[in-house]
Amino acid sequence: MSPASSKLLRRARAERPGARRGAVLRAWPQYLAVSPFYLLFAVFGLLPVLFSAWLAFHFWNGLTPVTPAGLQQFKFLADDLVFRRAVVNTLIIWVLATVPMLLISLGLAAALNAVRRFRLFYQIVLFLPSVTSIVAIAIFFKAAFNDQIGLVNVTLRAIGLHGIGWMTEYWPIKILIAALMTWQWVGYNAIIYFAGMQAIPSDIYEAAKIDGAGAFRTFWSVTVPMLRPVLIFTVVISTITGLQSFTEPQVIFSSNAAINPNSGGPGQAGLTMVLYFYQQAFTNNNFGYGAAIAYGVFAIVALFALINWRIVARRES
Amino acid sequence: MRGSPVSLAKKGVTMQVSRRDVLRGGGLAALLGLGVMTLPGCSSSSGGSGAAPGIQDMSLWYWEGGLSETVVKSAVPQFASSVKLTATKVGGDFKQKLQTTLAAGAGLPSITGVKGEDMPYFRSAAAKFVDLNTLGAADIAKTGLAWKWKEGQDLTGKQLGYPIDIGPTAMFYRSDIFEKAGLASDPTAVSEAVKTWDDYYALGTELHGKVPKSYPIDQLSTIWNIAIGQTSGRFVSQDNKFIGDSDELHQAWLITTKAQTLGLNAKSGQTRSNDEQSGKIAATFGAAWAALDLQSEAPKTAGKWRVASNPVKPTNYGGSFLTIPAATKDPQAAFDIIKWILSADNEAKGFEDAKIFPADPAAWVLPELTGGSEFFGGQKTIEIFGPAGQLVPSQYVAPSDGAVGSPYNDELTKVENGKDPEKAWTDAVAAAKQVAARQGVA
Repeated sequence: MSPASSKLLRRARAERPGARRGAVLRAWPQYLAVSPFYLLFAVFGLLPVLFSAWLAFHFWNGLTPVTPAGLQQFKFLADDLVFRRAVVNTLIIWVLATVPMLLISLGLAAALNAVRRFRLFYQIVLFLPSVTSIVAIAIFFKAAFNDQIGLVNVTLRAIGLHGIGWMTEYWPIKILIAALMTWQWVGYNAIIYFAGMQAIPSDIYEAAKIDGAGAFRTFWSVTVPMLRPVLIFTVVISTITGLQSFTEPQVIFSSNAAINPNSGGPGQAGLTMVLYFYQQAFTNNNFGYGAAIAYGVFAIVALFALINWRIVARRES
Repeated sequence: MRGSPVSLAKKGVTMQVSRRDVLRGGGLAALLGLGVMTLPGCSSSSGGSGAAPGIQDMSLWYWEGGLSETVVKSAVPQFASSVKLTATKVGGDFKQKLQTTLAAGAGLPSITGVKGEDMPYFRSAAAKFVDLNTLGAADIAKTGLAWKWKEGQDLTGKQLGYPIDIGPTAMFYRSDIFEKAGLASDPTAVSEAVKTWDDYYALGTELHGKVPKSYPIDQLSTIWNIAIGQTSGRFVSQDNKFIGDSDELHQAWLITTKAQTLGLNAKSGQTRSNDEQSGKIAATFGAAWAALDLQSEAPKTAGKWRVASNPVKPTNYGGSFLTIPAATKDPQAAFDIIKWILSADNEAKGFEDAKIFPADPAAWVLPELTGGSEFFGGQKTIEIFGPAGQLVPSQYVAPSDGAVGSPYNDELTKVENGKDPEKAWTDAVAAAKQVAARQGVA
């Protein structure tokens, strides 16, 4: 909180309660203006969070009366081998997606920083995937990576290589999902890095030049350290979103067959934590257990966010 | 739900943009909300003042391909003297939308479809539906298929569902590829040749040997689905006990995975349409309604497919119901509409429109069904599906059946990627036991 706003708050507290109420009443258009967000958040954000916390301690199939479960759902979760598999899948996909994505983003941002002409055009091009419907992207990837007639395997075979089981095998499935996530978010992160690079004072670069640093040396010793807050930001955001991947495997491995939907593809290789939650709650009608999984996901994401935060705090002290 | 976790969190970067977006979204939602609120208002006021007294509003929910479009359309004028019928084709996840509406208890349709695979689930909340036997369903059931009517009952005999269609299963095969392999290709001869699963694998081995690019099985889950339909008990017994480790189920597993060990599996789970067109899939198993999928997935192969009987015995896969939610004000009127929509004549139209195989055997003798099918080279498929529909063994399907059965299908995909079938069986049973415990199965 900035000093100015805390001063305002202190002044507000010092005033008589009646005057505060008057201030609230006088400011009704402003409150009205901000109310849609809070109302929508209360209905679609807060309420489900609280309701699912309550559900996690109950049994409910969605139709019959709710019965108390105590800690049973969490005991199930601790023993659930499929949940463990989903956690491992999610972490692998997250690493496969995040590490190359952030490195490529950094390279793209440096390139963007270097060009002078058509920069706005490149920025728009880089940003477009992140505002494109993820379902549309997933359907495209599903077609392009089809084992037999997909563009990728057809190309591989045309140049004399073997096709890869993108849709059927353990590692290729994970690489496919990671590639989709990378493609969608690489430009977005590049734009963030680019904005960060623009904020680096040019005299530091001049000093580096006078000291005789080359382009690569300047990049690693000036640009990257100066970008550290932005880098940490992107790592944290990529962690939170990467650990919640859902739509990618859901759409890629959806089929119109009624048998076993939302199971994450062959061998459950694409079963992520959130997809598993969705399958248990909405396909299997096990809403209590689904809520317990959702809180398990929350704990894992919070854990990784905490690790990130610790790293940041240690570096800064 | 789709995409929102990713996109919202990503937008969280610049808080101003995010709030503005959310506000804009909020305004839009408010507008939409108003729109939704005014719509029923309009219709009810016009219904109240415009329509003659004694005409009531009724609604019908179904899904794409669930009922014949022409029959639904003609039901509106049919009942216009007493009912203003609004039929809605609900898109997306039908079960989810019906469950949400039933749980909310408001905005319910007067009549709604329930898919066959979801019936065991909705049966668990029988109080939310009208007992059709109080409206005269028992008399109609007498001339219908006993096993199908039983599927629409809860354990106390309350009749929740009026059967729309059934899914008697049979073997679909490519007669041209069978001929190429020097095998008999006539449906009667093929049915004779595949009386048992051993026969089937012997035939399949010969076929794949003669025409190596073609396989007699599209994927393991197809056989598994048939084989478990041929057991007496499935995964959960009627007294809610886990029986997913039974000998007969293990036997079904061995039958299924044999396709993999013999190298007869095309593994077409993700490339089905392409493999049907290319002839990689020379045979598959499916319900009568699967003929429509086959036609749309492999239009180029029209005329080359035939239908023969399953090995061992027919099973049922799918087949839906019409139900009346308990909140419906005039259940008798709703029941009359259902009876008309599912009359033998109209059921035959459904078969012609969308290969919805009638649950009422009285429709099987009508010309729409007894004629030859072009896609199947003029074959009169009713000669296979008719007797199959009569012979389907009655099986108890628990509300948790889909959930408890899902680990077996997961493990089958692992067998297709080289996992040892016995190890996969052990793992499937272990995982299924965990699911069963979570579903309250003892």
